[in-house]
Amino acid sequence: MSFIPGLGLAKGMALTLRRFFEPKATIRYPEVRADVSPKFRGRLQLLYDEWGALKCETCFQCAQACPIECIDMGGIDTKGRYHVHWGPPEQYAERREESALRRSGRTVPDRAYEHFEQLDMSPVEAILDDHDYDPKRMLSILEAVQAVYGYLPVAALKQISFRSGAYYALIYGTASYYGHLRLDPPRDAGQARVAASARPDESVYLASLGAALDGRGAAAGAVH
Amino acid sequence: MTTIIRTPAEWPSVLLARAAALKDHPAMGFDDPSAALDAAVAAGAFEGLRRAVRDLGPAGTIATVATAGLRGRGGAGYPTAAKWRAAAAHGAPRYVVAHGYGADPGSLTDRALIEADPFGVVEGLAIAAIAVGATDAIVAVRAGDVEAVRRLEGVVAAAEEAGFLGEDVLGSGHDVNVLVRPVQGAYMLGEETVLLKALEGRRGQPEQRPPYPAERGLFGMPTVVQNVQTLAAVPWIVVNGAPAWAGIGSARATGTILVQVRGPERAGVAEVPLGTPLREVIALGGQPPRRHSLKAVVIGGPSGGLVPPELLDTPYDFDALRAVGAHIGSGSVIAADDRACIVDLARLLTAFCSTEACGKTIPCRIGTRRLVEIAARITDGRPRPTDLQLLADLSADMTDSALCDHERLATLPLTSGMRYFRSELDDHLLRSSCPAGVCRPIAVGAAL
Ligand SMILES: Cc1cc2nc3c(=O)[nH]c(=O)nc-3n(C[C@H](O)[C@H](O)[C@H](O)COP(=O)(O)O)c2cc1C
Ligand code: SF4
Ligand code: FES
Repeated sequence: MSFIPGLGLAKGMALTLRRFFEPKATIRYPEVRADVSPKFRGRLQLLYDEWGALKCETCFQCAQACPIECIDMGGIDTKGRYHVHWGPPEQYAERREESALRRSGRTVPDRAYEHFEQLDMSPVEAILDDHDYDPKRMLSILEAVQAVYGYLPVAALKQISFRSGAYYALIYGTASYYGHLRLDPPRDAGQARVAASARPDESVYLASLGAALDGRGAAAGAVH
Repeated sequence: MTTIIRTPAEWPSVLLARAAALKDHPAMGFDDPSAALDAAVAAGAFEGLRRAVRDLGPAGTIATVATAGLRGRGGAGYPTAAKWRAAAAHGAPRYVVAHGYGADPGSLTDRALIEADPFGVVEGLAIAAIAVGATDAIVAVRAGDVEAVRRLEGVVAAAEEAGFLGEDVLGSGHDVNVLVRPVQGAYMLGEETVLLKALEGRRGQPEQRPPYPAERGLFGMPTVVQNVQTLAAVPWIVVNGAPAWAGIGSARATGTILVQVRGPERAGVAEVPLGTPLREVIALGGQPPRRHSLKAVVIGGPSGGLVPPELLDTPYDFDALRAVGAHIGSGSVIAADDRACIVDLARLLTAFCSTEACGKTIPCRIGTRRLVEIAARITDGRPRPTDLQLLADLSADMTDSALCDHERLATLPLTSGMRYFRSELDDHLLRSSCPAGVCRPIAVGAAL
């Protein structure tokens, strides 16, 4: 508290006066655009290299590091194995349902924004219960879930995340890493069996090695 | 079953000795694991554990292993006793992990050992657990090796029943709980920090070392990760004494090691004393067919080095191989005769390393891919003038900046190829021809 009457007012007016002659912070968008770093990408988008391959290895470090799980990814991973669906599509659907677009009655045709199909979650619950809801046993949880459904439905991964408290990005990171785990339904029973036992890249490597040593050239082994 | 190659009679046999002695025993089908255990115990199994508990004690065991000069068989050859001391110096709970994954699909050494003598592995694991003061021990084994998993599980159950494992091992007051964990799904599971990640149920990507697992490993606790061959050697050392082990092999690399030999006549696993000249190791695989001659030896698996025949006098041991640009790695030794094209072979090996790289760091995610692209440009006959320099620079950068050893080693096929087979590379680069007549579309060369 000041003992000189009107000092506070004078101070305030002095600040107003100073600010009045200072350069303004307001940018008259869109006529004037802010300076942004050349590295700024705005919306996160994955880059392709000059051969047309995705540079992202789906290593999930960005997603795991993001504290509010805001990083989404879509597409096929670089090894051509999985459809990547980090950034849960059903959230988009839910958000869109709220949106003016949805309320206007127009359909959103993109398949990625469709709801997941209903999934019977009771096996997942039983498996989680068997494993004490312990994220440290995630690999065997995922293996057991895959044994039930034939693959790892994203809805099941979400449920595991919800019930065990582990980040979805961590679970998805584990699920998309190991060669024997699959996120897409097997096209047929034979494919399911192959995926569960041998790793195709290993047998291709061994065949190529044999071909390279016999003078047929490594490429001869890669073609089955 | 994997093929075991017979070695010359004067070569000592340690890791596979008991398996050879028990080969024809009826219980060795493991249909009844406790009968198999009884047979093995009669042949000397778990005698090492008994002595470690009764006579040596934890400190004595570690000292014995140190005097023997035992070094890890998983590839890097780190002194085993140093690792145990480091883990024992850090707080409990501690873990011991037997590494039997055998990442290289072309090398079956670890699987051969587990199938032939799972007792040695389990016994070594128990001795290690007691020496470092760990109550939980894990055997990580490749899930696809169904027979190896079955035998290990049988032996662990039977050994627990017999009092060699479980609570109060042999009345020592130490508990050792052993868990067999089949793992699968990635080459990188071979790297120790990745294996630990898999055991924790996480994505398999390496961690910065140090801190080494011996300080901060499984679930953040001190963990000793040891190749199954390393562990199987421990009981033998305890029973026969450190000097007996140190007497085998060379001064800096003692004892024997399993080698996966792939030669023109036969392929299989052989037990070789460290320090044996490469020439004798490669001879186990037979001679090249008529009209062909040995061109290169690929040592160390997919990330191995290509060693020319002039260097066949190099001893097969950790340091000598590193000095010539190869490494023990997965224990694989592959003979390539003059039908193979070095660039093609190096490209294949690098391509496998690149596909299997985990993607965590830039040398791993992008560096390995660029290496393969350079090699592919050369084999496809459209090299750029700067490619050799680029290859050398990129390899040096990757070696310097790598997070795990995989990227460091993935440069070896191409760099050792460049070092020893420069004239063949020049044929591709300068004359657009492939001496072996393999590389299309430039195949001109000496197609016989
Ligand atoms: C790419 C890569 C693959 C590896 N594969 C194996 C393997 O298949 N088996 C193994 O025992 N060690 C493997 N290692 C070495 C381990 O990381 C670790 O050093 C070793 O298991 C330690 O045991 P040791 O001291 O008994 O050798 C690999 C290392 C790297 C970098
Ligand atoms: S997942 Fe990994 S490679 Fe892909 S964008 Fe994120 S950090 Fe980069
Ligand atoms: S393989 Fe990815 S960091 Fe080493």
